[in-house]
This record gives sequence, structure tokens and C-alpha cells, in this order.
Amino acid sequence: MTSLASEIPAAGEKRQRDRAAAQAFRYALRELRGGLSGFYVFIACIALGVFAIAGVGTLSTSLTDSLEREGRTLLGGDAAFSLIQREASAAELAFLRTQGQVSTVSTMRGMVRAQDGRLALVELKSVDDNYPTLGKIKATPDLPMRQLLDRRDGAFGAAADGVLLARLGLIIGDRVTVGTATFEIRTLLSSEPDKLAGGVGLGPRFLIGEEGLRASGLIQPGSLIRWIYRVKLPDNAASEAAVEKLTSAVRAELPDAGWEIRSRGNASPQLERNISRFTQFLTLVGLAALLVGGVGVANAVKSHLDRKRDVIATLKALGATGDGVFTIYLVQILVVALIGALIGLAIGAMLPFAVVGAFGSLLPLPIEPAVHPTDLLLSLVYGLLTALAFALWPLGRVHDVPVATLFRETTGAEWSWPRRRYLVMMAVVLALLIAIAVTLAYDKRIALIFIGASAAVFLLLRLIALGVMAGARRLPRPRMTLLRMAIANIHRPGALTPSVILSLGLGLTVLVTITQIDRNLQRQFTASLPERAPSFFFVDIPSADGDRFDAFLRTHVTDAKIERVPMLRGRIVEARGLKPEELKPSPDAAWVLQSDRGLTYTSEMPAGSKLVEGEWWGPDYRGAPLVSFEKKLADGLGLKLGDSVTVNVLGRNVTAKIANMRTVDWQNLGINFVLVFSPDAFRGAPHTHIATLTEPTSTAESDAAIIKAVADAFPSVTSVRVREALQMVGDVVTNLVLAIRGSSAVTLLAAILVLGGALAAGHRHRVYDAVILKTLGATRNRLLGAYALEYLLIGLATAVFGVLSGSVAAWLIVTRLMNLSFAWDGVSAALVVAGALAVTIGIGLAGTLLALNQKPAPILRNL
Amino acid sequence: MRAGPTDAISLDNVNLSLGAGPARVHILKGISLRIAQGSAVGMIGPSGSGKSTLLMVMAGLERPDAGQVVVDGTSFNDLDEDGLARFRGRSIGIVFQSFHLIPTMTALENVAVPLELAGAADAHERAARELAAVGLGDRLHHYPSQLSGGEQQRVALARALAPDPAILLADEPTGNLDEKTGQQIVDLLFAKHAERGMTLVLVTHDNSLAQRCERVVRLRSGRVEQPAAAHAAMA
Repeated sequence: MTSLASEIPAAGEKRQRDRAAAQAFRYALRELRGGLSGFYVFIACIALGVFAIAGVGTLSTSLTDSLEREGRTLLGGDAAFSLIQREASAAELAFLRTQGQVSTVSTMRGMVRAQDGRLALVELKSVDDNYPTLGKIKATPDLPMRQLLDRRDGAFGAAADGVLLARLGLIIGDRVTVGTATFEIRTLLSSEPDKLAGGVGLGPRFLIGEEGLRASGLIQPGSLIRWIYRVKLPDNAASEAAVEKLTSAVRAELPDAGWEIRSRGNASPQLERNISRFTQFLTLVGLAALLVGGVGVANAVKSHLDRKRDVIATLKALGATGDGVFTIYLVQILVVALIGALIGLAIGAMLPFAVVGAFGSLLPLPIEPAVHPTDLLLSLVYGLLTALAFALWPLGRVHDVPVATLFRETTGAEWSWPRRRYLVMMAVVLALLIAIAVTLAYDKRIALIFIGASAAVFLLLRLIALGVMAGARRLPRPRMTLLRMAIANIHRPGALTPSVILSLGLGLTVLVTITQIDRNLQRQFTASLPERAPSFFFVDIPSADGDRFDAFLRTHVTDAKIERVPMLRGRIVEARGLKPEELKPSPDAAWVLQSDRGLTYTSEMPAGSKLVEGEWWGPDYRGAPLVSFEKKLADGLGLKLGDSVTVNVLGRNVTAKIANMRTVDWQNLGINFVLVFSPDAFRGAPHTHIATLTEPTSTAESDAAIIKAVADAFPSVTSVRVREALQMVGDVVTNLVLAIRGSSAVTLLAAILVLGGALAAGHRHRVYDAVILKTLGATRNRLLGAYALEYLLIGLATAVFGVLSGSVAAWLIVTRLMNLSFAWDGVSAALVVAGALAVTIGIGLAGTLLALNQKPAPILRNL
Repeated sequence: MRAGPTDAISLDNVNLSLGAGPARVHILKGISLRIAQGSAVGMIGPSGSGKSTLLMVMAGLERPDAGQVVVDGTSFNDLDEDGLARFRGRSIGIVFQSFHLIPTMTALENVAVPLELAGAADAHERAARELAAVGLGDRLHHYPSQLSGGEQQRVALARALAPDPAILLADEPTGNLDEKTGQQIVDLLFAKHAERGMTLVLVTHDNSLAQRCERVVRLRSGRVEQPAAAHAAMA
């Protein structure tokens, strides 16, 4: 129990503390009355970082909110049940109909043939009379669905994407064939309400009726066709609970249907995942901008405190304690950081509005921009914590600088550690920052790698600065005065070397990483195809026609390599006794469980695979089903040799034991599968084959001839030209790279700001030095030369590091995260180095020129 | 008034105003002055009389609005800023009240700067000798912040003397020092003047220090006082 006597002094102490805090606050604001000059870089750095994080956060929330709000429309109902390669049975359909209004949609790839014989790959979509149950399609002319799709004068109706019309030179009213059916293009399709739920396609959309699809002859046993049954509950009974009840009822009643079930809450899980993944990436880029900006904060705080040495000395001489002085400047720094953060916040909050305003009509989803306080608060916290983390070191050192030293002319040579309490405060702030970044990350492993890499880069840059200074100190004294002055400037106490190397090094690392990733992605998707890559994929080859198809290709294309394997689609429904939702896969392996996968069976190990564990079943193996698993993904799913895996194929569960593991070279673009089964695993299951054709030489004309010949002889087979498919993927990648470049520009801008700030911080010393040197006989050109040489030497040393560290980071991201091959691009690296040197010397000399143009007399008079 | 063959410094009707608008002040008002080669001249006068400004004009650090300045046979009117810098590096040594050492350079590097700028191959050896000559042979690698005021001023003196200039200008060289240290610096200054035969112009508040010079020039309100009046004032 606390006695009254001890409470009274405690209350007195509290009052005293409150008074001291109020006083510190008053003094801090009083000093800021002089304006914010000297803090502009600080404010800009924090504003930029906060803007990036706030902008990315609010934009992403606007997107996911819209996804959630539009989920029912995107899905085309309250729940969707999709099957691959088979239609729902009459019993299954009947049960679904007891639950609500059912509409059926099917999708597959097909070939559209114009009357002049030209062919194009399309994403076929067949719909029933209920389509669309929610939302509306946008088409010109706008026709009622029945009128759009019904059969008239021997042709079914169709709505076609503008890309298809342009590709085949078609106009509304033209007739085309798909398989064995004729279609009349009755309208130009510009959007479907449920398009996003389908993911990215390889060709333009061709919307037809179910009757038309059945007439085309494309529905063969085992054709790669996806049937989606959408159930819409009555509007007044479509609560979340009702949807949950519906999916549970279907699961319970039809446990072995093998369908993929989606409810309106996860209408497009792939898109949602991509948004989350991309948001995390861009948030990390924003954090990188903040970290780079943090260096600017540290530099600005240090030079601010340098300028305030007399004031600090006076305050201390008049009785202010170390704590008191620390508190005054801490408050001041926090106020300035808050100003920067609020500016960033305001601009970031406007980003969704700006994006919707500028690109609203191009977005595939109606986005309603809004202010999202949680995202804004988070970016504010990031901004303030970063400012604090970087300001605490210079602030802490104020505490112990003796008054006498403050009055003396100093060079910044004295270097002392702040007291332990400030180091603890710094550690707490950093820990908080890391905890928030990791906790909120979509992929915690990537967040941790980012944090580790950032710490390593900071440490390395510090070591490089020390190394460059030590190296310059030990260099033999060159005869050339200019070079001697430049080298001396690099290692002198108070030299710009550490801050320039840190800011330039961080900026260069980011820039080199981005350009190397960029170049590699472009090479991968838009440049020449990998050697031995096939020119064609053929899908939906009926099993019975396999040999005839091979022979047909051989007669049409000589010297070609043809590979053909059976292909089924199936979903993993159980592995090592666990359901997919209980497996807890690693983030890079989760996709295997999220949808149906291509499966094959074979007696021989597929080309492009390498056995790394276990043994391959013999050519005559006819025993219980065995499966060969891709090693990396098996590890990601926690699977080992001997574990059982159950896949649902065509509504039937097949359980196989893992007999071996393979590594797969995905990049040769050959036929490869995650799961390869033993020959008899799917005995009796209807399926088609997939084939590749690798030509020694090919032209657009010869490829067109092949497509035509195949379409003539095998109307149900779809030809996919690899070059075009890659182009489609490449276009998506190019857009992603553009977004990455845009957000990285924020980091680069921060780095340039910090560099400018670091060079400006040395301006006062530069003016003094220049005036004294001019007094002693130095000409302007000579000084300019020495300074340019100094910046060049520092810039070169940093550039070497930036290229090295950026290349390593890019190599890690490209090979480990993207699973692609990496080729170092020397030209872009050289351009980055040249650009960095130009910026460093440019900014450095711009400031120096100002120093050199100062007249000596007024400066000397005031010194 | 034309510069004679034995004049180290010749000023002819020099006028200088500083500041702009209402704050513009006419500092030097028609100053004409000749200083003979090898002589020591003390420049004395109250604060604001224009002593230091006149010294800056003699050093080419300040350009007069009107008038002629000839130093060591070179007319400043013919030189641009870089020309003036080169001339200073060759012919003029300056010692300031606030030392004006470069804080990021060691004592040796500070002294070597004018020699290096003049292209001397043995700049550091000569700088070390100059520092030894002012008694700082053991402080070569100290930074200014590691030296006392007196030591800093000795470094500044060594730096001014290092290129062996024809003219040494000193602006209140003892102003920031205690009496004893100031006395040592002054002794050193006059010893070097005598030893090297260079022209010495010394700006000071201190009458007794000025009296150690061969000639005393007294300034008042931007004008040179007549010798008689000056002697009367000193008497």
C-alpha cells in the first residue's frame, strides 16, 4: 500500500514532469517559428514513403471492397459449382435446382473459322437462357439474349470480341464455323458481368448458346471443357448464412462430385490473391522508399542539430538538462514528421479517386473509390515510426555533448554512441516497424527476406563507406593536386562520403534490381523463344484419333518433333490423409490445391523431367496406382515418398501412392505435369490427348497453314500457337512491370532527394572551404574539377556496389520467386551506372557552383 | 597618384560602398596610399573606420567601386576573379583574426594548400618546414579543433608564409588570443617580416602593436588621417 507521504512527492514529480513536457513542447514550437527550411528533404522523404504506402493500401482496399460488393454479379449467382471434362449428372443438377435458380455456363478453347478459311483461337463460352442472371452484358447492338443466340437460317447466333473481328476481318452479320456448327456474329461484345471470375484467357471471347456448342461437335468424351452451374438464391433469402447453408448442403449431398465450389464471397480467388500479392509487393516498395527516405531524415536531423549547436549550448548553459534538450528536439522532429506524413497521407488518399478518374472505363471491375481510414492510419504509423527510427541516433547524441565542445569549431570528427536508453528506444521502434510489416504481410517469408535484405544493404553500404574512406586515406599521395584534393575530400572527417554512398547505393540497388528483373521478364516473354520450344500445342485430340493425328502432322510438317500425351484434369482432394484446407501448404505451392490440375499417365518418365527421389515404375507396371510428384511442390505440400494422394477425376476419386519425385524444367515449354500417374491409374476414364509440335523453322504463313490443315482434318482439335500465347502472357507481364516501375520511381525519387539533401547538408562547409581556398589562390575551375572528381570517385565506388547488390537481388527474385532463368543484362547496368554518375555529379556540382560563385569578402567578414 | 617602382602597394582614390538601398554604407572614401616594398605598416582606427575592408581591397578580396589598386606591380583592375586568386596564391599571404583554417584538413594539409595550388611538387615537405619554423613540428597531423587558439593562429601564419609571398596582410591577428599568446604571435610575425624582407600590413586596434611598425596609417570614417593628426592622436 502506498503511504500518503510517498504519494505527495510522487504527485509533485508528476506535476514537474508534465511541466517539463509542456515546456519542451513550447520551446520546440517556438524554434519552428523560423520556418521549415532545412526540413524540406525530410518532409519530402516522409511524404513520398507515406504516399506510396497509403496510395497502394487504399487502392487495394477499394479493389477488394469492389470485388466483395460485386461478388454476386461476378460469380453470376450466390454459389458456383464447376466441373471439368464432364457435365453434372441429372441427379446432381436436380439437387442444385432444389436449392435455387440454376444457370449453366461452359467454357473451353476452340477455333473459329471465317468463310475465307482463316482461323483464330477463341475462348468459347456457352450460356443457357437464364444468362446473365445478374448484371448485363455490354454489346453493340444491344440484343435480347434469346435473339442473340437462337438458331436462324441454319446458323446459331454469337457475340464476338472486337479483337476476333479485327483478326479475321469480320463484321456483324458474317458467318463463321466452330467445329461443325455455323454461327452468325450478331453483336460486338465489349463486356460480360462475370468475366473476371473466369481469369485470363489466351484468345478473344466468343459467346454462344448451349445449343450451338452441342451442335459444334466439340463436346467429346474427356474434352477440356469446364461446366459451371451457378445457383442464385431468391433475393430476399440470400444472406451469408443462406449461402453457407447452400454450399454445405451440396457438399454433404454430393461429396464425390469433385467440383470446385465458389461462393459470392470468393468470386475470383485468383484475382483476390493477385491483388494481395501485388499489394504486398508494392507496399514493400513503398517501405523501401520510406527506408531510403529515412536516411534523408537522419541526415536532415543531424544537420539541423549541427546548426542548432549554439542554441543547444545556450540552453544547456542556462540550466537545461540532457533529457530536456533531447525532448525539445524530439518534439520538433515529430512535428516535422507529422507534417510530412500528413502531406503523403492526403495525396495517397486521393490515389484511388485519381486512378478511377483516369482509368475507370478501362478497369474490368466497377471500383468505387473511398477514403479508407485504416490504411491511412497504417501508413501514418509507418511514416512516424520510420522518422523516429532514423532520428533517434542523432537526437540521442545531443544529450551528452558538453557545452564547452558545442562552442568550439568542430568538424563532425567526434563520434560517440548515444546513451543506452536511446539505443533501446531505437530498437523498440525498429522492432515495432518490423512487427507491423511482417504481421500485415500476405507472404511473411517475403516480408522477412525484404527486412533482412534491407538490413544487409544498410550494413554493407556503411561498411563500403568506411572502406572507401580508409582506402582513400591509404592511397599514395598523387602528384596531381586536383586528384589529391579530391581524394582528401573523400576521407576527411565530416566528408560527404558516408551519406552519399548510403543514399546513392540504396537508390542504385533498387534501380538495378528493377531494370534487371524488367529485362529478364521482357526477354522471357517477348524476345526469342527458348531453344527447342514447341511452336504449337494441340488440345482436345480425341484418344481414338491419337495415332492418326501424329501421322497427319508428320505428313504435313517434315523434320518436326511431335510429342503427344494423354491429358485429364483433376483436383487434389486429399493428400497424406488430409483435406486440402488442412494441408497448410507453403505460399509458393498453394496454387496446386486451389483448382484442377492437368494430369497424365505414362509408363516412361516424361522428357524434361529428372528423377531426384525414389524409383520410376517399370514399363510393364500394372499394379495399384502410383504417382510421380514434382519435388519442389511436394516439399511445399509437405509430401514424402510413400504418402498417398487422392485426385478427383471426372467425379471419381483415384488414390495413388507417391512412388518418386521429379524436378521439371518448366521453361522448355514442353508438356510437363506436376502429377504423373502410372499407366492404369485412370483405366476407362474418357479423356483426350495433348500434343506439341516443334518445328526446325517456322513462319507465320507456315503456321497458318498448319492451323488450317489441322482444323480441316480434326475440327474438334484446338491449335494454340505458342508464340501468340506467350505474347498474351507477355502483355500482362508488361503491365505488371509498368506498375512496378511506377512504384519504384517513388523509391528512386526518395533516393535522389536524399542524395540532394546529403549534398546540400555539406553546402555550408563547401562554401567556407571554397572561400578559404579562393583566398589562398584556388581558381573556380580548379575547385570545380576537384569536386567533380570527388563525386565521380564516390559515385563509381557506389555504382560498383549498387550493380552488384541489385544484380544479386534481381537474380534471387527471378530465379527463386519467379522460377525463371536469369541472364545478366550489362547494357542496362551500364546505363544505370552512367545515369547515377550523371545525377551525382550533376546535383553535387549544382550545389558547388553556388558555393563557388560566393564572393569571399562578405563570407570572411561574417565568419 | 601613380605607383612608383619601389611601391609594394599603391591605392589611388579608392572608393567602396557596401549594402544596398537605404542600408548602403560608403566605407572607403577616396583613399590614396602607397606602401613601400619591405616596409611594415600598422593600420589603426576605431571600429567601422574601414581598416579590414581596406585590407580586403589590398588582397583583391573586395573590388572597389572606383579607384586604382596596384599590388606588387600588378593592377587589380586588369584581373578577373580567377586572375586575382592566382595572384593572391603567388604574391599575398593573409592572416585573419579568426584564423580561417579549413576544419576538415590537418595542420600540414592546411599549410600545403597554397603550395599545392601553385603547383609545388614538394608542397608537403615545405609545409612541414614552415610549421616547424613556427614551432608546430609536432602538430602536423592535428586537426584545427585539436589545436589551441594560439596554435591555430601559428598554423594560419605558416600557411600565409609558405608560398614566400611578397606581401603579408594581417587582420587583427591577436584579436582572438590571450595577451601572452598574442605577444608570441606578434613576435613571430615581426621576426618573419625581418627575416624574409616581405612587406607587412598589420590591421590592429592596439596602438602599441601598431607602434612596432615603421609606419602607422590611421583611418577614420573611411578616410586616411593626415600623419600630423595621427601622431597627435597617438601622443
